[in-house]
Amino acid sequence: MTINDKTTGITTSSPPPNALQLTLLIHCLICSTDMASSSPHGIKLAVHLLSAYFGDIVSKVGECLLNKGTLSLAQVIRFTELTKQKVTNSLLVLIQHNCVQAFAIQQPGGFGEPPKIVTQYMALHNNIIHHMRFPKFLSMLPSDFDEDCKKIIEGLLQHGRLSLNQVRDRHKGKHKALVTSEGNGNATNMLHENFNRLAQARFIERCPAHEPFLERPEEGAKKRVAKSKLADVTQTLEARALAAAAPMESQRFLVEADTWSNGALDDDSKKSPTKEVVGEKRKQDSLEPETETWATNKNKEVLWRVNFEEFVLRLRHKSCVSHVTTRVDSAAGIVLSAIFAASRKDETKVKAENTVPLLLQTIFDEAMNSEEGRSLTIERVRASLVQLGCELPTIGIDETYSVDLKKIIDQAQAQEVESIVLKKYGREAYRIFRLLSERERFFETDKISATTFVEKKDALKILFQLWKDDLLHMERIGNESQKTEILLWKLNKRSVWEQVLDDMYHAALNLKLRILYEFEQAKDPEKQAMLVKKWKVLEASLMILDDAIMLFHDF
Amino acid sequence: MSESQIRKRPDHILGNVLVEADKAVLNVINTRGKSAISRRNIQQETKLPMNIVAKCVKKLTDLLLIKEIKHGRIYHYIATENSPSNTVTGGGCYPDDKKEFINQVKDICLKIVKELKVTTADGVYNVFIKEHKLTKVELSRQQISEILGVMVLENLIIEVKSTGYGEYRSVPVGDVCYRCHEGNVNHGSDVGAMSSIPCGVCPRIRECTPDGLVSPSACVYFTKWLEF
Repeated sequence: MTINDKTTGITTSSPPPNALQLTLLIHCLICSTDMASSSPHGIKLAVHLLSAYFGDIVSKVGECLLNKGTLSLAQVIRFTELTKQKVTNSLLVLIQHNCVQAFAIQQPGGFGEPPKIVTQYMALHNNIIHHMRFPKFLSMLPSDFDEDCKKIIEGLLQHGRLSLNQVRDRHKGKHKALVTSEGNGNATNMLHENFNRLAQARFIERCPAHEPFLERPEEGAKKRVAKSKLADVTQTLEARALAAAAPMESQRFLVEADTWSNGALDDDSKKSPTKEVVGEKRKQDSLEPETETWATNKNKEVLWRVNFEEFVLRLRHKSCVSHVTTRVDSAAGIVLSAIFAASRKDETKVKAENTVPLLLQTIFDEAMNSEEGRSLTIERVRASLVQLGCELPTIGIDETYSVDLKKIIDQAQAQEVESIVLKKYGREAYRIFRLLSERERFFETDKISATTFVEKKDALKILFQLWKDDLLHMERIGNESQKTEILLWKLNKRSVWEQVLDDMYHAALNLKLRILYEFEQAKDPEKQAMLVKKWKVLEASLMILDDAIMLFHDF
Repeated sequence: MSESQIRKRPDHILGNVLVEADKAVLNVINTRGKSAISRRNIQQETKLPMNIVAKCVKKLTDLLLIKEIKHGRIYHYIATENSPSNTVTGGGCYPDDKKEFINQVKDICLKIVKELKVTTADGVYNVFIKEHKLTKVELSRQQISEILGVMVLENLIIEVKSTGYGEYRSVPVGDVCYRCHEGNVNHGSDVGAMSSIPCGVCPRIRECTPDGLVSPSACVYFTKWLEF
């Protein structure tokens, strides 16, 4: 695609848009907050996961929501061409597993008809992708949480959302052989204690409201502007729905004592006509009206789920520490780890750009708590903080430090992309790419060639190759009178990073499909031994690749 | 011959030899100083016909008043007493086997940086040239600085600004200095999750679909990768 500006003589060139770019563009235009962040292959991977975990019908409904955005039940039925029963069942499964969020909005009626309330369903792409991370999440549970805590998390991951009593029933079922009347009481108390601990550590949270009601967007926007005098009208309907559904921060991790009664709720649950056996998918015959009957629990029991945010936050910390240990040294890793441990309670945002400011003494004390940190002196801790990019305060009293986490994440992302360029295009291309990545401005071919010590002919070849693969942006500056043309090159980080993320989703999907293929091939007994080896390599690669996906998408 | 050793011809002698056109061309070249000028640009500035400019340039070159420098495929002209700037010559000269030579210099620079832990470009230059004279080819301060820049781009060393604290105390605060990676950095080679799997470097990734001609199940790169 070429755009000629005759007045300035500048010609802007970019490779013809491919299908991926067009799809990305369309998605950005039509999709919601959660969706906008997902790439075409991100959606394909999510659909594959839905199909693998919940079957083809559920995945078809999920795919429809992921591709078309927020829809009503009638629209989903029309687009998927499935029966109403199948669609409603699929939506129930998806809501149960936190893959879909419902919300109600008021829509204007037809001629002479009053406005009506319509339930809308939005797919939660991030939560769907989290399903392939469950083993990783389980391994992230700190060692001071025992096997019983792990079982609670396991149950919640397996069933999506459960009430306290359902957790207890599940626990009873697992320990049937051991249960005596006295032991039962102790076991219940232990379970309660563990549940409380998990909630306090934010590993589990109360589920969001199943169907919050949203005001019409225009009204809501007007009110906000009038109230705060700040234009926040850009917030999408889906973002508003998520915000409205989220429980209050004071209640989010609150385990109420009265919801945990040993016998009372047993009786209630017996009375309930829709008592479920945990582990079986819930089915309901009648689904009308949606808002009433889709309430997940008729006893108004509080439903709990795993707090993915906390696990993502801890994985982010782990990734930062690992990057710093490799990039700087182990002492810097220990210090950063200590900072995270000391500021755990104050850190609520997953994508915080900086760590919570802490006193040097606090960081030092926390480092001393770990075995590896005991050999550090306060001077060494200070030096590590400087290595981590902290500036030394001019006045030595109450030295507080805050580490720039965004910089660490940016470096890790750049390193990932650079390693792809190095392996795919060679060392000279790696130099050129790093030059353009670090400076982020237009460079002339001659300048690139001179700075990177790559012959101009070779440099031009590499630059064109990178441009063809959408890794660079090129502009031609022409002088018609002199018949000369200068080529300018620039790296547009944002679009390249988005593309790399899409490729990563694509690669993850390919690994998943290859695993399935290898399993099919290994029906022959002779190939069984080989299968284990291949499976290990593929699964390990998928886990490492998923870390990289999180680095680009969740951190 | 150094610039100070070149003797200027007295103007009154030149006045008899040079015609108006020659003087105009010489004037344009002199005003350019260290940056050379092409015939086309001389013609544009003097508004003389091209054949006259060509004659003048030849005459001035014969009289050793100007000298020609090949810049790309075009000849540029500069006053004899001036030496061309780096933008004209492309910087300092390297031997014919430039790549090999630069690689050797890089290895030496890396050793120096490792030894000094934290150093500036001047620090490397001093060790390289003044103390050890490590190569037969004379390298300028600028060239050493450029080579260090390439080493930074190759991730062999890192460029940091001195904090004046700890190991940076020998370097003034804010000065650009170089040091080696302290951690286990593999110079960006095998660290990437994506680059360690076939799809990460696959030239056909855009054409790859589950049921297409290029697919994960029929992928030759995957098959090769999973051969044990």
